[in-house]
Amino acid sequence: MEIKIKNLKKYYNDKLVLKIEELHIEKRKITGIIGPNGAGKTTLLRIISGLDEDFSGRITYDNSTLNNNIYDNMTLVFQKPYLFRRSVYDNIAYPLKIRKKNKAEIDKRVSEMLNRLQIYNLKNEKAHLLSGGESQKVALARALIFKPKLVMLDEPTSNIDPESIKTIEKEIKNYNSNEKATIIIITHNLEQAKRLCDNTIYLENGRVNRINGFL
Amino acid sequence: MDYIINGIIEALKLLVSFNRELYEIIFLSVFVSSTATLISSIIFIPLGLYLGIKNFKGKKLFSRLLYTLMSIPSVVVGLLVAILLSRRGPLGFLELLYTPTAMIIAQSLLVTPLSLGLSYNLSKNRGKKIERVGITLGARGVKIIFLLIRELKIDLFINLVTVFSRAISEVGAVMIVGGNIKNRTRVITTSIAMFNSMGNYSTAIALGLVLLAISFIINSLIYSYHQEDY
Repeated sequence: MEIKIKNLKKYYNDKLVLKIEELHIEKRKITGIIGPNGAGKTTLLRIISGLDEDFSGRITYDNSTLNNNIYDNMTLVFQKPYLFRRSVYDNIAYPLKIRKKNKAEIDKRVSEMLNRLQIYNLKNEKAHLLSGGESQKVALARALIFKPKLVMLDEPTSNIDPESIKTIEKEIKNYNSNEKATIIIITHNLEQAKRLCDNTIYLENGRVNRINGFL
Repeated sequence: MDYIINGIIEALKLLVSFNRELYEIIFLSVFVSSTATLISSIIFIPLGLYLGIKNFKGKKLFSRLLYTLMSIPSVVVGLLVAILLSRRGPLGFLELLYTPTAMIIAQSLLVTPLSLGLSYNLSKNRGKKIERVGITLGARGVKIIFLLIRELKIDLFINLVTVFSRAISEVGAVMIVGGNIKNRTRVITTSIAMFNSMGNYSTAIALGLVLLAISFIINSLIYSYHQEDY
């Protein structure tokens, strides 16, 4: 999914926190958003994901404005993911259940996803009691299970162990190449951006400071 | 002091002897209050959850009005329902005054703001986060409400018990619209008031013990449900 942003302005209590004249996020690429705290990275992601509708400007998704079909094909994983108070399996199966997939298909896809993220052993655990790294893996699995064409990740590997980071990065790469999805990832880690991203956007004080070429 | 001890002993005797009048009062109380709780909850819990996550004009004023109505005195509700159902009232033709149905209507009206307010407050504080996750996974409209109900089920269950407790422990509304008629509209709270004024402490204590027992059973249920979830 290709995203084009034009004349985007976002205010918080009369303070301009985001001002982007033009930004193009390429289809099927992994785009990293980098910048200091308070630069507007999460705000931008919330606006693109449709969670924040209080802004001016225009955003198009494959040349369409936000509609139910686009909502159905995108997802956002939060920095501190909220996992439902049910098992890991039920968390990951949720997007498929609300899309009325049959039980056999749900079982198959959830098992595959659990294996890919190396959390099959957690299948029946209560999700809300997991550790940080495990929670992030479950949140990522739940977000990718319904094969969205646009995946937004808000610092998916902050404060988790190196092994989990490796697994999550590998899955992001694989998903991007297998599903031809557009992925936008916020990260503070420049090394991670180098490893993962095809393009990078540097945000500072709510403005796009640089695109690519600074890593 | 003796009459209190004697009262408790007599009360226990009445309970174990399965005194018919006593058990009719208990069953009617539980029936009226649980029906009122059910009626108010089926519609107003989902509505409260929905309003809690939605931003709308006048939400702050709505919150204040709702919280005010949550503490409405039961006699005021009883009076309102009695006026509506009285022979000369607009709904007098239904001939419902002094029937269990009138008591259910009064209690439903009394606990509706509580059902709505508690779920509204819960959703306002914790629902947004759940809604956001639901949206990012493709849930919309009714699916979000179902998700909220499932995620907040423990708190909603506790709210439900609070609503039932308010219903079963009130005396003003059922006294006015029910009239405390023997074998017809007599419930635990109106009976306690009546037996106390008659000096029949043993029956009053027996009914008081039943109210306490109901409270204990409900609390035990919540506790075990709570433990199971964590």
